[in-house]
Parts: sequence; C-alpha cells; structure tokens
Amino acid sequence: MSLITTGGKTEIENLLLVIIKREVKADAFLWLESKLDAIKSEDNSLQLRMLFAQIPRFTGKQIVNLKAAELTVINALLPGYTLQGWTLERLCRVWVLMQIPRENKMSYLKKINELFESAEMNEQVALYSALPILAYPEEWIFRCEEGIRSNIGLVLEAIMYHNPYPAYFLSEGSWNQMILKAFFTEKNVNYIIGLQERVNERLATALNDYIEERLAAHRTVNEEIYKLLV
Amino acid sequence: MCCNENFKERAEGEKIASVLDLSDIRGMKFFDPHIHMTSRTTDDYQAMADAGIVALIEPAFWLGQPRTFVGSFLDYYSSLLGWERFRASQFGIKHYCTIGLNSREANNEKLAAEVMEILPLFIYKEGVVGIGEIGFDDQTPAEDKYFRLQLELAKEANLPVQIHTPHRDKKKGTQRSMDIALEHGLSPSAVIVDHNNEETVKEVLDRGFWAAFTIYPFTKMGNERMVELVKQYGSERIMINSAADWGISDPLAVPKSAALMKRSGISLEDIELVTYRNALNAFAQSGQIDESDFMTVKTVDQGQKYEHNSILRGGQQPRIDKNSIIIS
Repeated sequence: MSLITTGGKTEIENLLLVIIKREVKADAFLWLESKLDAIKSEDNSLQLRMLFAQIPRFTGKQIVNLKAAELTVINALLPGYTLQGWTLERLCRVWVLMQIPRENKMSYLKKINELFESAEMNEQVALYSALPILAYPEEWIFRCEEGIRSNIGLVLEAIMYHNPYPAYFLSEGSWNQMILKAFFTEKNVNYIIGLQERVNERLATALNDYIEERLAAHRTVNEEIYKLLV
Repeated sequence: MCCNENFKERAEGEKIASVLDLSDIRGMKFFDPHIHMTSRTTDDYQAMADAGIVALIEPAFWLGQPRTFVGSFLDYYSSLLGWERFRASQFGIKHYCTIGLNSREANNEKLAAEVMEILPLFIYKEGVVGIGEIGFDDQTPAEDKYFRLQLELAKEANLPVQIHTPHRDKKKGTQRSMDIALEHGLSPSAVIVDHNNEETVKEVLDRGFWAAFTIYPFTKMGNERMVELVKQYGSERIMINSAADWGISDPLAVPKSAALMKRSGISLEDIELVTYRNALNAFAQSGQIDESDFMTVKTVDQGQKYEHNSILRGGQQPRIDKNSIIIS
C-alpha cells in the first residue's frame, strides 16, 4: 500500500534538492551537507535530532519561491500535494527526512518516532507534511491520528491541507474525526484532499448531529457541511 | 521558581475591589524575560497583551512537585516549545523559553543524569534563548555538579545562561554562582543573574553580569523598592521580570512597575531599558530573537483569517466582555 512509487519518491527528493540548492545560501547548504554523513551512519538518532532542530538557524524561515514547472511535477507525482507557501526550514527538514537510511525498518521507525517525540511546533509541521513520502507509510497511521488530536492550528493544517496521506491511509473512524475536527476548528475544508471521495454514512450522521447542535445553540453553520451529507 | 509561605500575611490583607489604571504607560511595549505561563490562564495572556507585553521568556523550572521519570521532562520541554508557544501566539505574544534542569530536581541524581542526556535535543530548537533556570537551591554537591555540567552545555551551544539564585543563603549562593560561571569560562555578559535584591545587586553589576529582579509580592522584590534601585544604580544591565507562576504572583508586574517608575520620575529611556531593551539584548545573544517578530507574531489559526487586519494584532482570540454576566 503506497501513495507513490519508490521512483516517484526519488524524483521528489531530487526536485527538493534542486530547490534547496537554489534557495538556501551557499554556506547554509554546505553546513547541511556536512551533517549528512553523521545522520546516515549513526545507530541512534542524536545527530539527526540535533540537525533537525537546528535547521532554521541556518536556512532561515522565508517562504520558498517555486517555479510553475516544479509545482506541476509535484502535483503529477502526488496529486494534491504542494510545496506552495512552505518555509525554507520546512522544505529542508522534509528533505533531511528523506536522507535517513530506510533499509533497516526497526531502526528507521525508531528514528522517526524519536523525532516526533521531541518535536516543537514547526518540526511537527515538517514531520506531518512528510507523511506521504516517508518510508513504511502504513506505520504512521497512529502518528497521523495523534496529530489530528492536536489543538495547534499549524500542526492540524499540515495534516489537513494539501496532504494526500489521511484520505489514503486513515480508517473511516479516524477520517471522520479529522473532518469533524476541521469543522470544529474552522479550517478551510476545501484544502482537504479526498473530502468528497470519502463521504460516508457515519460521517453524514455525525455532521447532521453537529448541525443540529449548532442550530440549537443559535450558532452559524458552515455551508460546506451540507455538501457532505449525501 | 518560588514558593509563598506568608499565608497569614496574605489572609489578613483587606479585600480591595478597584480597577487597574495603566493609562500612564499606554502605547509602551514590554518584554517579560521570566514568567511561567504554563501555570497561568488565558485571562492572564489577555491582560498581558492589553498591558503592552509583546514578548516573554518562559524558563524551564520545578513544577511544584518532583518529577519521577525522564519522560516527564521531555514532555514538559516539548510543551514549552509547542502548546505554550502556540497559546501565547493566539494573544499576539512572542514566546521564547530557556531550557535546563532546575536546581531542586538536580538532587535526584539518577534522574538528573537522564535529563542531562535529553537536554542537547532541546537546546538547539527554535526560540530557545538560553540555558535556564539553573543554579542553586540548597547548594548541595549534586546541585553544584549539574550547574557546572549545564554551564558547559551553554558554552558549547553558545547560549546565554539564566541563573536562579537561592531563596536561602542568597548572598553567598549568588556569589558562588558567579564564581562558578567564571571558572567555567563564561563571559559575564552572557549570564543573567536572576532574583536579585538590595544585598546582591552591587556585586553582580560590578562583576559585569546582567542583574535581573523579580517583582513578586511578599517574597522577592516589591516595585517600590525597585524604583529606588533604579534611581541608585541606573538602567545599565538591569532588567525586571514577574516570574509569575502558580504562587501568588503578578503577570503584569513588568508593566505595573513601568507605570510606577514613570510616576516616580524615572526617565522613559531608563524605563524602556529596564522593562524591554536590556532583556532583549541579553537574550538576543542566543541568535534566536528577532525583534521584528514581536510585531508580526500572529496566530496560526486565526492569523490567516485576520492577516490583513492589523487592528486585531495582539488580540486574535475572540474578545469577551468580562463584565457581562451573559456568556454566549
């Protein structure tokens, strides 16, 4: 079960590198490159976690400039996915995640899980943005469900907006939680990939109840909800 | 980190219902470099934003009772960098933190050793502006050991140090903290010595350290005394903070003290240094503070909705009329 082929991932990785080389200052890129050997050869994740934390110190946080052709390529490889509006720090972090050796599954899972465990807000954003391109994608379902429980807006948006992972991997129950949460937290549901495709009866029932609750409390109802009641 | 044992004194106080008037300092901006927001409410955030606080530093501290697993520290540090930072942003306040193992819990040596292992994972994170609050409580050998280890860490990471000076045996504890910092090769200009009083301030300033004062009712420093100290010592390398936490403390201590200083005839330049600029300069040595961020901090949730509406900066949380008995 995978959203994207290994070849597709390599293409994305290469494209990210092209963008990074263009957007990151030369000395920052040298610094980033100099850290790769250590994270590729270590058994534990100390160097990886320290590198991951320090990325914004070197890259800055400006919004990445993208070419139209680059957006097209990404969209062809992972429909709906976009790098638009990403900060340089987020882009570099996602690329670094793709540099972690994945041959040893246990070791790979442990490293990524340790990154999640000590992640601050922007690190979480990068981690959740990377869900569709991480190795062993079915192993991140729990992480994705956990992220949906977050109340931090940016983190929720990294999962909900332009991210094909939830629609592809979440169970019906978890998917429905995400959609309900999106309405609760007033997210723009039009950015959710698979919104119409994953409409289901239980979701419709829950949304109907939600509408009735809102109306009983004399609160407004988002018009988008009604499109999911079919 | 504080504890307030003057229960009797408090209980005997008159209950006064009055309205706070901060009109003297309207339009000024403040930086509270020591406040434990994790134990404060959204009402506090709202009041702080209204009073002009644009940025704060939350030092890692003791939570009132000892932790027993290293995972509790990991989650605490993560919450300072995650949830608490997000909460602050919803009120237009830029949140920074210092990360460290506090002196009380350094006395649990097995746990302290484990905490030391996870500190390197956190000190390089975005918005970590120092190692803190560290130093002495009881001045035990274990406290000494972990204070020194963390000073080495600060040196390696090139981060300022925020020193908690002890409640008991304060003068000696303060001197000893400075001696040890120098012994480990730290520059006094990278060390903020906190919780000063009339007895400690002179030596701290004479030796070139930053002197921070905690305006905290009953136990530490009152702001009338603080006014006298600024009159006597000026504003160079002096900063004030609230250290507000779960004790009876005041998250508006910095703006209130600014108002009192203004009424007491202290110049606006000096007030700005003591309540904003000095803290910023001291902790900006971390490379993690960009003053322009204070002006652009916005909620991630509502900020996009309100992006182009500058009126809402500093108050992105929906406002409620607290004087209304209607809650809707």
